[in-house]
Amino acid sequence: MPQTNTSLVRNLQIISQLVRGEFKLRYKSSLLGYFWTLFKPLMLFGVIYLVFSVFLRSPMQNYAVYLLLGIVLWTFFTEATMTGMNSLTGKRELITKIYFPRQTLVYAATLSSLITLLLNLLIFAVFYFGAGLLPGWASLLFLPYLLLLLLFTTGISLILASLYARFHDLSHIWEVILQILFWITPIVYDLSFVPEQFRAWLYLNPMTQFISFSRRIFLIDQVPSLKQHAVLLAVSLGVFAIGYWFFKKTEYKVAEMI
Amino acid sequence: MAQISVQNLSKSFLVPHQRRTTLKDSFVDFLGAGLWRRPVQEQFFALNDVNLEIGAGEFVGIIGPNGSGKSTLLKILAGIYRPNAGQVNLRGSVAPLLELGIGFQQDLSARDNIYINAALLGLPASQTRRLLPEIVEFAEIGHFLDLKIKNYSSGMRQRLAFAIAAHLDADIYLCDEVFAVGDESFQQKCLAVFRRWRDSGKTILLVSHNTGQIADLCDRALLIDRGQLLADGPATAVVELYHQTLSATR
Repeated sequence: MPQTNTSLVRNLQIISQLVRGEFKLRYKSSLLGYFWTLFKPLMLFGVIYLVFSVFLRSPMQNYAVYLLLGIVLWTFFTEATMTGMNSLTGKRELITKIYFPRQTLVYAATLSSLITLLLNLLIFAVFYFGAGLLPGWASLLFLPYLLLLLLFTTGISLILASLYARFHDLSHIWEVILQILFWITPIVYDLSFVPEQFRAWLYLNPMTQFISFSRRIFLIDQVPSLKQHAVLLAVSLGVFAIGYWFFKKTEYKVAEMI
Repeated sequence: MAQISVQNLSKSFLVPHQRRTTLKDSFVDFLGAGLWRRPVQEQFFALNDVNLEIGAGEFVGIIGPNGSGKSTLLKILAGIYRPNAGQVNLRGSVAPLLELGIGFQQDLSARDNIYINAALLGLPASQTRRLLPEIVEFAEIGHFLDLKIKNYSSGMRQRLAFAIAAHLDADIYLCDEVFAVGDESFQQKCLAVFRRWRDSGKTILLVSHNTGQIADLCDRALLIDRGQLLADGPATAVVELYHQTLSATR
């Protein structure tokens, strides 16, 4: 029987050790370590900047800063959900030998991606201050945004991880979905370019809110409305709650499925 | 009250080739079930209506042929599998030593694996740090501590896994084939650990094909065959019975 005395402290210890292990796995065995983490989003940024700013002559002010923020947040979402989805199947050896709360594996995966995000944000800061911009008070909202983004992403990862243990083609499906989402989330363009009748649809995707709100607080020092924040909070908490519920409901089968 | 109590425990698995692992299979099965046929799902009972009570401080051996359900029983007790039917109650903390040396991450060093495994088994990092020298010495892996596990021999892996478990302070130890690998001197060390556990009143379940060892170490033994508990009694008597049934079927 699963032990019921699995306290929060124990889970935090497990998560902390798993994150450490993940960190080492990712960066100790590759030659340039963290360089790759920073290089990948920068590469994507460089290419898109070239196409949209130089070839297509986008008229947007501070487009580089604008674009980089979108890419950095988006990269976190893709990386965290992909590693989160694989976190159970990748740790098959642990799951079939020891009972421990399985969701800690998913948390460790998203937290590992959070470390990457924080490093990428350092690069963003270089571009931001390099462009002569200075943050206003509204920028402080970015911290709660990060927290909500983490919750939202973890919720999605919990669902993906649980489903992936059963259906292995989910990784292909999710890759396609991510590719589509990349273009219908305002990452390379601004929401104002989108015709009025489509805008509401784009807002159905929470990543739209995370990215456009973050841009507003950093670039035009403007605070989204209370209602918009309420929606963001409700969506993030809701997705996490659904993910947690779904994962818990299916957790007991994981050891037999993977 | 018993430390471990098992009532009417049954565990069945669906035969693998009928398991749906792709969406297409699932979809085809879904259509099939609705339109023309129900998917055939063959049930295999790994454990069938097992009843068991084990008191605190008992040292119980579990014997039986391959595929009889011994490991499944331990996995259920360890909380890894959930039974299909029946009740399982455990009092106290559990240290699982199942298929030793497999629960490691290949691309991490032994040091990292010790910390991760210990955390999964409920040991805080501060305690692991304190126990590390002892674990390393017990496992005899000395200067290989920072070598990746994938470069370890199977014997080294097992020694390390046993060393971690040997330093856990649990109430119940679930051990599956812990003597399968390991040279003679290491086996002596393992036996010493088992005696220490027994003398300090721990409850131990030991699955082994080495019936001599079971008769030697355990007070009580269970004989399991085809998912059923065939015998439960003094270790020497059950081992004797097992040998008789083996020679009878031969």
